[in-house]
Amino acid sequence: MSGETEETFIGGQKTLVVEEKVVLDKEYDPEFVAEIVKYGGRDVKTCHQCGNCTGVCPYSLKTLYKTRNIIKMCQLGLKSLVLQTPWLCATCYRCYEHCPEDINAAEVMIALRHIAVRDGFIPDFIQRVTRNVRQYGQSVAPAREVEILRTQLELGPLSYAKPRYGKTINEVQYIMRAMGYDKLVHVLDEKPKEKAAGAAADQAAEGEVR
Amino acid sequence: MVKIRIGVYVCHCGSNIGGVVDSKAVAEYAQTLKDVVVARDNKYTCSDRGQEEIKQDVKEHKLNRVVIASCSPNLHERTFRRTVADAGLNPYLFQMVNIREQVSWVHAGDKDAATEKAKDLVRMGVSKVRLLEPLLERRVTVEKSVLVIGGGIAGIEAALQLSSLGVKSHLVERTPSIGGRMAQLDKTFPTTDCSICILAPKMVEVGASPNITLHTYTDVEAIEGYVGNFNVTLRKKARHVNMDRCIGCGSCAEVCPVKVPSEFDMGMGNRKAAYVPFPQAVPLKYTIDEANCLYFKTGKCQLCVKACPTDAIEHDTIDVLEDLRVGAIIVATGFDPYTPKVRDYFGYREFANVMTAMEFERMVNASGPTKGHIVRPSDGKTPRRIAFIQCVGSRNKKIGNQYCSNVCCMYTMKNAQIIKEHEPDTDVSVYYIDIRAHGKGFEEYYHRLRERYQIEYIRGRPAKIWQDPQTLNLKVRAEETLLNQITDREFDLIVLSVGLVPAAGTDRIAGMLNLSKSNDGFLQEAHPKLRPVETTTEGVYICGCAQAPKDIPSTVAQARAAAAAAAAPILRGEFVIEPLVARVDEEACVGCGLCVEVCPYKAPRLVKGPVGQKAEIVEVLCRGCGVCVSACPHHAIKAEQFSDEQLESEMMAALKAEVR
Repeated sequence: MSGETEETFIGGQKTLVVEEKVVLDKEYDPEFVAEIVKYGGRDVKTCHQCGNCTGVCPYSLKTLYKTRNIIKMCQLGLKSLVLQTPWLCATCYRCYEHCPEDINAAEVMIALRHIAVRDGFIPDFIQRVTRNVRQYGQSVAPAREVEILRTQLELGPLSYAKPRYGKTINEVQYIMRAMGYDKLVHVLDEKPKEKAAGAAADQAAEGEVR
Repeated sequence: MVKIRIGVYVCHCGSNIGGVVDSKAVAEYAQTLKDVVVARDNKYTCSDRGQEEIKQDVKEHKLNRVVIASCSPNLHERTFRRTVADAGLNPYLFQMVNIREQVSWVHAGDKDAATEKAKDLVRMGVSKVRLLEPLLERRVTVEKSVLVIGGGIAGIEAALQLSSLGVKSHLVERTPSIGGRMAQLDKTFPTTDCSICILAPKMVEVGASPNITLHTYTDVEAIEGYVGNFNVTLRKKARHVNMDRCIGCGSCAEVCPVKVPSEFDMGMGNRKAAYVPFPQAVPLKYTIDEANCLYFKTGKCQLCVKACPTDAIEHDTIDVLEDLRVGAIIVATGFDPYTPKVRDYFGYREFANVMTAMEFERMVNASGPTKGHIVRPSDGKTPRRIAFIQCVGSRNKKIGNQYCSNVCCMYTMKNAQIIKEHEPDTDVSVYYIDIRAHGKGFEEYYHRLRERYQIEYIRGRPAKIWQDPQTLNLKVRAEETLLNQITDREFDLIVLSVGLVPAAGTDRIAGMLNLSKSNDGFLQEAHPKLRPVETTTEGVYICGCAQAPKDIPSTVAQARAAAAAAAAPILRGEFVIEPLVARVDEEACVGCGLCVEVCPYKAPRLVKGPVGQKAEIVEVLCRGCGVCVSACPHHAIKAEQFSDEQLESEMMAALKAEVR
């Protein structure tokens, strides 16, 4: 009986029906615009939604996200919707160049990333990139196949593996710790510190951060 | 010396003041001040009852000074001056104290402190009013004619209205014919009247009116003086055609070998070096364009001289300066259509088939370069898909024009209708951000356009326009914001609905007349609501698109308002000057001229006298701002009602100190 009901229910199109899709009062955050300003964005409220930014945006062409929509969500303070979105922006600033209201959407995206990270909306790939930077001093992890190929071709190891780069990588790690960056994106050192000097510096840096 | 007897009135202004300031307590306090005979509080001092009370008190208590603590002097100073004058006192023996804008409205959170501040301000006012001196209003006689700058519909309408009031006017136009931008338009919205057909009768009337002296092909060279007595110098540019002899037959233009792009046709068509801008021109007299005429370039040709049946051509004439004296000036310098720049990214002047709305206007006009046929500039074919792009040069902070140009939404609708009537098979799309159909019958017109003519409205500002190299068709990428979708569409012709910018000469005229401009570059009226055609310069009025972008009905209404305002002092024959001006103490003045340099109104001037050079203030020009007073190194200038002693006594009262 119930199966029959389901089939007849709006012409068998049940899969298209979702739970009530309304945005409730509590999802609006009137303080959000001020927060964006605090993190370096500007003027979001003055946007009159002409859509010029979407038209020039290389990512809006290829994805479901539209620059104009993100700005509108910011105006309304729909935090939960907007904090998922800013990571695709390439900060090419074309939106800013074309905007008749002189709004810098790219900088709004950067501000949104700061807020997203602060509030814990951190996509996996950000953590992965951070881990790579900490470990290899570069954002892309070296592939094992490349190592093997290089050995076969009698080429030396990649630069990150050379001992003299170890010092540089240590410095990168030091900066990340000093800035509290590793904690912020939840990428903490797995292994304990080997050198006492490193630990002391670490403490000093932490003291500074506090 | 007469004993000073002061009356103090503290207003409640309903709850505007009374809700915050304890007006009764302030009045009671005022009663205790020196020389105050009577102090009262009333609900509305500006009401008839409130004013009547003051008049009675003046008589009963023999008051000779009045202090009113109420709103800003901007609002009711004139009212109360009249009240005081009606009571038989000199109207300048009155001091207004602002306890609304400066007290109750800004200190609503702290009632006690607000009341204390009100008391302080009243004490200052009482202290100052003792030192005020009776002042007499001066009257200047007024020259009985008006100068109207700009021969577009605004100037034409103003001159005609003045003429109907019996006031003589001089209408100055820099091009060879009056008519202005309205003459260039094909039709007008929302009635689709033929523009020149409704304008031409008015132009003819101007030409025929005995009250209007027409100065075409003339620049305003200089303006000096003040309300009632402006000295104007006009530069009548050499036309090289004798105005009395020319019969407008056009023989000269027929034989003239020089072709140049026509300004009237927005460069879409050509004209000769001997020309009239358009067939309905007033006056219908030909002009020889010095910059392009072959005779002025090579010293040869003179074909027109041979062709002219009335010997009207005079190649050897030069510019003539003419002096006028007028009593008032109406500035109607109008607008220029915005020229799209590279930074607008719409490919204007880069792609052949992108044109501005003004160019389109000339193209669809029956007397225009294509005789009214809608064609693509690249190949002369009839376009089947036409797109309009709105807000080009308007509502754009990037290029500096933040304002809405007011007419583009509507003229685009009109243009779309014309296209549909000429070529019903054409698809017309309009890229817009917002549609502003705010006038009478406008929304209905917008509705009719979609209903009857099936015009497609796309909400989104185009992001990118590029050209198909083979067909020279144009592709437009835009976000269709209501669909949330990026669309690429192809069109045969794109018309940019350009906004309005102040006409090229506006700055020069504004400089001559000391007019201020608003942020958008248009001329600023004296008050946005209550003095819409007056300016801060007495005797100078503005109307039409010189003030702000507006449509023809608003321009006509404003032109008539300006004419009425300008006619008032002229019909009265005199102009009353407020005596709140600066005065020079001739003994102290050393004639250094610093006041002349600092004055924003050009009021002071240096005059040679028997004991050397001295400054003198032209009272009509002085606005009493006090800049010269503070600049004068010898304390030789005094501002009436703001003298050092008066300000000092106010200051001392504020500090509760005794005046020395």
